[in-house]
Amino acid sequence: MKPAAPVIDPEKILRDLRDLWAQLAKDQGSAGGVLRACSMTLIAVAEHDDVADAELARKTIGVLMHGHPSRAIVLTPREGGDFSGRVFAECWMPFGGQQQICSEGIEITADAEQTDEVARLLVPLIAPDLPVVLWCRGPRAFLDRSLDPLFPLANKIIFNTRAVRHASSAIEFLRRLRKEGSKDGRQVADLAWTRLTGWREAVAHLMDACDEGWLAAAGGEVRLEYGGGRPGTRTLYFARWIERALPGVNVTLIPVAGGPGVHSVVFAGCGAETYVRLGEGSSLEVRTAERSYSAVLPPDSEESLMHEELSILGRDPVFDRVLG
Amino acid sequence: MPDSNPFADPLRFERQVPECAIVIFGANGDLTKRKLIPSLYRLAYERRLPATASIIGTSRTSLSDDAFRGKMHDSVKEFLEDSPFDEDQWTGFAKGLHYIAGDLSDPKLYSAIKDKLTALGRTNVLYYLSTQPSYYGEVVERLGAAGLGQTTAQGWQRIVIEKPFGHDLASARELNERIHGVFAEADVYRIDHYLGKETVQNILAFRFGNGIFEPLWNRRYVNHVQITAAESIGLEGRGAYYQEAGAVRDMIQNHLLQVMATVAMEPSAVYEPNAVRDERAKLLRSIRILRPEEVPLYAVAGQYAGFRHEPGVDPASQTPTYAAASFYVDNWRWAGVPFYIRSGKKLPKRTTEIAIQYNTAPHALFTPDAGGVTMRPNLLILRIQPEEGISLRFLSKQPGSGMRLRPVSMDFNYGSSFGERSPTAYETLLEDALTGDATLYTRQDMVEASWQVVTPILEDWANRKFEYPNYDSGTWGPAASDEMLARQGHVWRNS
Repeated sequence: MKPAAPVIDPEKILRDLRDLWAQLAKDQGSAGGVLRACSMTLIAVAEHDDVADAELARKTIGVLMHGHPSRAIVLTPREGGDFSGRVFAECWMPFGGQQQICSEGIEITADAEQTDEVARLLVPLIAPDLPVVLWCRGPRAFLDRSLDPLFPLANKIIFNTRAVRHASSAIEFLRRLRKEGSKDGRQVADLAWTRLTGWREAVAHLMDACDEGWLAAAGGEVRLEYGGGRPGTRTLYFARWIERALPGVNVTLIPVAGGPGVHSVVFAGCGAETYVRLGEGSSLEVRTAERSYSAVLPPDSEESLMHEELSILGRDPVFDRVLG
Repeated sequence: MPDSNPFADPLRFERQVPECAIVIFGANGDLTKRKLIPSLYRLAYERRLPATASIIGTSRTSLSDDAFRGKMHDSVKEFLEDSPFDEDQWTGFAKGLHYIAGDLSDPKLYSAIKDKLTALGRTNVLYYLSTQPSYYGEVVERLGAAGLGQTTAQGWQRIVIEKPFGHDLASARELNERIHGVFAEADVYRIDHYLGKETVQNILAFRFGNGIFEPLWNRRYVNHVQITAAESIGLEGRGAYYQEAGAVRDMIQNHLLQVMATVAMEPSAVYEPNAVRDERAKLLRSIRILRPEEVPLYAVAGQYAGFRHEPGVDPASQTPTYAAASFYVDNWRWAGVPFYIRSGKKLPKRTTEIAIQYNTAPHALFTPDAGGVTMRPNLLILRIQPEEGISLRFLSKQPGSGMRLRPVSMDFNYGSSFGERSPTAYETLLEDALTGDATLYTRQDMVEASWQVVTPILEDWANRKFEYPNYDSGTWGPAASDEMLARQGHVWRNS
């Protein structure tokens, strides 16, 4: 039997938000007041039936609010669950400031089988005229099409393919989604790609420093070593990125022992000793014919990856080229 | 990273400051301790400055490296803006701090700097002149004599010069010639920290990133523009400098004319340093130069009561602490639109803003009603400090029966849309200079054009004796300033 229609009234949630702001203003009335900050709607979809994941999403959003104040909607789909909703605020005091800054949030629990209804429910809850970012936290989007009804709501959809089993299928899914959304200007992102920024930056600087220059490298061979048994999306993205940048170059994927992800990239045409490889801790070892140095990888935390993605709300031509 | 690099990804990659040294002349001064070192520390904190960067302070005072580090430690703790101080971060940063004592007129100082740069292995060098302006020419020439200041294949050599850039047009030209004897123009960075403020940069984003404002940005719709830089404080120990400079040289010739150029310039084809600066320069050259007989009508000088009792100030000083002027831009976009600029000390509050007043609706449709208004011009306010943001004032119907109108304001506040800390102007500008981006720096032709604009005012005022003081602290300046606007049917926006 099909579950009953949602019992959440979006009007009530919006009223609750108004009451929340009234209360915050009252609480802070004599202490500099409250500044309501909002630059987008950020909808985070937690893993099915995973309250801990929803809690983690909220924590991450709490950190992100400082740089990307938004109306946050944390959605937890539950198998056969009831619809419920409540509002919250994330507040912080800027260093040296006297006025507290607050962003608002809504937590929604909804029946996982009624995403169509959820999408209809979300429409009035989206902050008008501001970008909408949909953050699909787990691999569910790739397993079934249950989140599809939410996609048209968003200007940008952020996935995380780190845990998906079939990397090529996931990339193909994203490529198709990007193509479908391109007429509406919808962007697609993948935190697995975001994780490569430090690596890519090191390679780009290596090319700057390489005596023979990247043109010489283009005529040569690139070896990409990866761990984890089979190449994940990160490895495949990296290989495609090099191939797109250096047309005609041959990137060979070589499995090595160790954890999943990229372990090293060697440019054979740019001097025998030119490579970037994983170093101690969160660093990269970079070596050219002339010198070697370490490059610090940016933090791998969800907050910093999301911060990077939320800073790019328009087209990302490099990732688009990689998706093809 | 060169654009030709096929791996470039400017959306995601941080601008990379290369290994370099920053040599600060005047390292014992206020600017160094209040702005330069705190900004460099903050850049290092955010990893936007390489950990290997060296900072060499020079001044006459004898100090060891450690003593200099200790002084700078205290300064950064005191003057770091909107961010906490991190002792661990400081320890790493301080290792790159060095100090050389010496007289600016002594060639040995420059040899010592050269030796230090060689010992540190630094070929990319940014020289920062934070000395008395009268030393600028000499320091540059002595750098040249020591074999410094030339960009080569081994590294770049750039120089940042603080305002005032000359004290009039002739001295600005002379200084330019002396600087060009050593540094190429492309390596000269004349700093105007107003251009580094986020909100001033945002004027370009607001105008040229949106479709709805630019069509209304011309003489057909804009009635007049008011640019105000008001300070509630007095000299704060800068009596000796200020007495020589005065309000026109201190604020109008540089900061406010640059702001005016940003507000009124034409869009450049691309956002690149020389393209943007060409448009700013073009606008500055389009400002009508006042004839001597027009100065009393279009410019007002003021001095607050008590200025002559400030330390370092001549008891009979004729220095203006307030200046207001009406400028016109002779081009198709702005012909006939007055730009009113004013700056003063000891005014009722600290505020810097640009108010663009639009023409009123051509016909009064609504009749007066008790307590309501019928016609009120729309006002677009670009607030630079404090409370950075943009407001648009328009009329709205008051709730209730009848058609009663009331002005309301639609506000954009930086803080509510971007919760995070904005970089200070000096952080932005130092990073720009270190990465070779001169977009927000002024160029020789811009400096000369702005001196040309204020020269008639300075010459007229130098030849007149004013009955000072002519305004009280805490007021909006002399009455003559209000009268200047009243003659053109306008009123200062004093709110």
